[in-house]
Amino acid sequence: MKYLDKKIEEIHKLLKEKKIKPIDLVEEAFQNIENSDCNSYITLNKEEARNVAKELEKIEVEDNLLFGLPIAIKDNIVTKGLRTTCASHILDNFIPIYDATVIEKIKKNHMIIIGKTNMDEFAMGSSSRTSYFGAPTNPWNKEKISGGSSGGSASTISARDVLFALGSDTGGSIRQPASYTGIVGMKPTYGRISRYGLIAFASSLDQIGPMTKNVYENALLLNILVGKDEKDLTSVNREEEDFTRFIGKNIKGLKIGVPNYFMSDIVSKDIKNKVKEIIKVLEENGATVDFIDIKYLENAVTLYQIIAMGEASSNLARFDGIRYGHSIKDPKDIDDLYFRTRSEGFGEEVKRRIMVGSYLLSGENAKIYYNKALSIRDDMRKEFKNAFQKYDLLIGPTTTTTAYNLSDSMDDPLKSFLDDVLVNPVNMAGLPGLNLPIGFDKEHMPIGMQIIGNSFEEAKIYQLAAFLEKKLKLELDPNRGEKNV
Amino acid sequence: MKDKLSKEEVYHVANLARISLTDEEVKKYQIQLKQILDDVEKINNVKGYDDDILIACWEENTSLRKDEIGEMLNPKEVLENAPHHSGNYIAVPIVINGGEGA
Amino acid sequence: MSNYIPTIGVEVHLELKTKTKIFSNSMNGYGEMANSLTNVVDLGYPGTLPTLNEEVIKLGIKAATILNCNIRKVMHFDRKNYFYPDNPKNYQITQARTPIGYDGYVEITLENQEKKKIYIEEMHIEEDTCKSAHRGEKTLLDFNRAGVPLIEIVTKPCISSGEEVKLYLEKLRELLSFGDISDCKIEEGSMRADVNVSLRKKESDPLGTKVEIKNIGSISNAKLGVEKEIKRQTKIYDNKETIKPQTRRFDDKKNDTILMRVKETGNDYRYFPEPDIPFVVLTDEMIESCRKEIPMLPDERRQIYKEKGILEINVNKLVQNRSLSDYLNTLLEEKIDFKIASNLLLGDISAYLNKKEKTIQETTLTKKRFVELVHLLENNTLTSKNLKEMIEDILEKEDSIEKIMKEKNIENITDDTEIRKVIKTIISNNPESVEDYKNGHDRAIKYLMGQVMKETKGKVNPKMTMDILLEELK
Repeated sequence: MKYLDKKIEEIHKLLKEKKIKPIDLVEEAFQNIENSDCNSYITLNKEEARNVAKELEKIEVEDNLLFGLPIAIKDNIVTKGLRTTCASHILDNFIPIYDATVIEKIKKNHMIIIGKTNMDEFAMGSSSRTSYFGAPTNPWNKEKISGGSSGGSASTISARDVLFALGSDTGGSIRQPASYTGIVGMKPTYGRISRYGLIAFASSLDQIGPMTKNVYENALLLNILVGKDEKDLTSVNREEEDFTRFIGKNIKGLKIGVPNYFMSDIVSKDIKNKVKEIIKVLEENGATVDFIDIKYLENAVTLYQIIAMGEASSNLARFDGIRYGHSIKDPKDIDDLYFRTRSEGFGEEVKRRIMVGSYLLSGENAKIYYNKALSIRDDMRKEFKNAFQKYDLLIGPTTTTTAYNLSDSMDDPLKSFLDDVLVNPVNMAGLPGLNLPIGFDKEHMPIGMQIIGNSFEEAKIYQLAAFLEKKLKLELDPNRGEKNV
Repeated sequence: MKDKLSKEEVYHVANLARISLTDEEVKKYQIQLKQILDDVEKINNVKGYDDDILIACWEENTSLRKDEIGEMLNPKEVLENAPHHSGNYIAVPIVINGGEGA
Repeated sequence: MSNYIPTIGVEVHLELKTKTKIFSNSMNGYGEMANSLTNVVDLGYPGTLPTLNEEVIKLGIKAATILNCNIRKVMHFDRKNYFYPDNPKNYQITQARTPIGYDGYVEITLENQEKKKIYIEEMHIEEDTCKSAHRGEKTLLDFNRAGVPLIEIVTKPCISSGEEVKLYLEKLRELLSFGDISDCKIEEGSMRADVNVSLRKKESDPLGTKVEIKNIGSISNAKLGVEKEIKRQTKIYDNKETIKPQTRRFDDKKNDTILMRVKETGNDYRYFPEPDIPFVVLTDEMIESCRKEIPMLPDERRQIYKEKGILEINVNKLVQNRSLSDYLNTLLEEKIDFKIASNLLLGDISAYLNKKEKTIQETTLTKKRFVELVHLLENNTLTSKNLKEMIEDILEKEDSIEKIMKEKNIENITDDTEIRKVIKTIISNNPESVEDYKNGHDRAIKYLMGQVMKETKGKVNPKMTMDILLEELK
């Protein structure tokens, strides 16, 4: 019997009535993971997950829909006592001695950590193929990528192994793989969720977010993740809110903007047509849709390259073989320790990015590139702000194509950046953005739509997403849907 | 415009990043780094922005922490993940030149 | 040897007196077991983030105020990127673009009593590195110091001699230890100075090649190091040789500077704004309340003490003893003889405090009792001899001074007619001594004094008695 396929309320009822126990869900999850065989995980938390499940039997089931449910954690979020690798050789033996703030919240809510998911090394990439542990595969077609960098979290949700996963999004790393695998992925407003314990890639862009199979569960998980954290100065103090509160409301009167850039020739025809269908649905249901121009959108990738690689070159300097992580044996001298540890420890993409990042900050370059990028980013943010004076939400495709083949060449160093042209702007402006599956292409690979909200208006995003989800009634379980093998 | 970086340029950035490279890798990065850097040059085409910078992507200011002592690690925990240690200390190959910085 | 004009700039790092570190809440302490004062933030663990200690900002504001700096109200931090084992994240969080204080000065008094302003270019806040010790083939790292808050104070190149360097460092130490900013202990490393020295022929010439002297262990070595360096450079220039930019350190054993390393092309620190710490905005209220908390500084103390009639030598001693000076400052409104008060503080009370390793604030000597004590000394009810007998009780008991006097059976003759009576008797009983005195034998007066003391069992004030004795002998 598969319990994890049921509605979350039903699972909760079964738990509450003691018809099932958390351990049943844990065992089912491990069985699912084995069956779907997507290389979604770097480390499974088998023993500890079972212990926690057993412990939970001793306490009363709370009025908390998340109680006792398994969750998968992207492997760049530190978990005390549970190996955290960032999919890198340099951390492949690293056992953290503290918990990330989001992990504390998850444990407090009695969710059960099932394992650490696969990803691009240090979240650098868009196909999870830079993982030291091999790429995860797409449950819709195992020849295809599941996207990146949160590819393992996306594939395990898409395969219906578990209900919940955490991802992180620096330039699209939640939304893009969510789009490729047909799931719901939210990157909340920068500052919504504490970054304490998220191994930094680009500090001013990184944000943790929930990845789930549907909108409601996504909002439920976000509810417990948010909040000002004294350990993270960039986290923001906001009044508590229930992100599910607008779910089920109609969309009459909603004003929606579609940036022209998002519907330009960079996007494939299949995807554009799907988005156009959605626009029709929206208009039929009382929303207004306008095509608009937003300045600097086309510069987002460049800004992303400069800011992300610059910050990464500094953030990754701490991996030096001294205090933790991979370290060479018998170093000749300190430089030998640094150079060989880092050369052995980091993969190609990471080396490339931190070298470019070092160059971009070197000498006068910091002024020419990094500071300039910060200025333009500020202006871009203002452009979005202006747009949100007129519109409730912005929409567009999440990606320019659907998931491509795992075997496609990785030689082009620019390819991974171009996969993210449509998702980068949201990180630049610090806005919340969500991927919603809206259909399939000719090969029956999922197509995703991005819904972008004004700062801290995640609830409104969920309103629209839930409305469309209900209208479209897509079969999003790759185990059931007609597959094109 | 040249289509690749010089070997020296590649070595310079590899040195800043403390990464050693084989000859093969140098050849590869001469081309790849140049491709990325050319792409990054697009920033010079952006016009009409103002000079304000924003450090983190939102408008709140830093909140200050009260000066109160919190939990600390014991030396054993400090050494737990350290590959090389000696007594209560984390050890590295001898460094004689004194700190570069502060 | 030709004459050159030295141009000297000084960079001073001071550890701030806070309970916790700048970017984490582990303890800021010295002399504890290695690696016992750390947490994951100090160790630069993956995923950790900095927080910002409020007290550091406050001390920064105070230091900037004391150093007559302008205060920047909107500031951020920057990352200084360089690989070094004592630098846990391989970047140091500092303030490169927006130092909290800028354009200040410190005034020193030169040997010829002329005043000179030493101009401060800027002062910024940053974190300390960890401490390394070298054992055999290894360098051992102690992270207790990692993240201790520092301020770095950078002068303009406006200093022209080793003596001025010394005066500047002494002044800085005095000001900032009085301001409760830092312990300023060079021997414990809570104050560290680096000096840049260059020479040129004329004021109109561009500055010569800069040589940096690090690891200076004391203020006198700073002076000596600069003087030796000026000589060394002079010799090189006289020999028509060139100086390479370099870092030297002061070696205690050789009593001279020795080469540490020749500087290669400029360090590439890849500074950029620290994205983990948003803008820090200082409000006028915050700045004002910090200013109000700054204790009275030494120069103002000196001025007031002089006005109160305290002897120059005591003024200086008091200013050097912070807790006594603070104690005295609580008494400034009292109507007491400050000369007596200062003698009392620096004499018997200091002797007691030194012996017991206490501060005056830890004794029972309340303001009220101190005033009583001074008054008793003023009107000769107490003698200095009595004081020695009573001092422990005065500083350990809470009784009034009069009560202690009674317990000790101390009762002095303060009535001068009574003393005069005793003196007259002594004079008439000792005609030979009186004669000797009149013939210029000084010893005689001592003998007569002794007799009076014997007769009164020491219960008279010696000075008063001597005055009367001399009067009667006329």
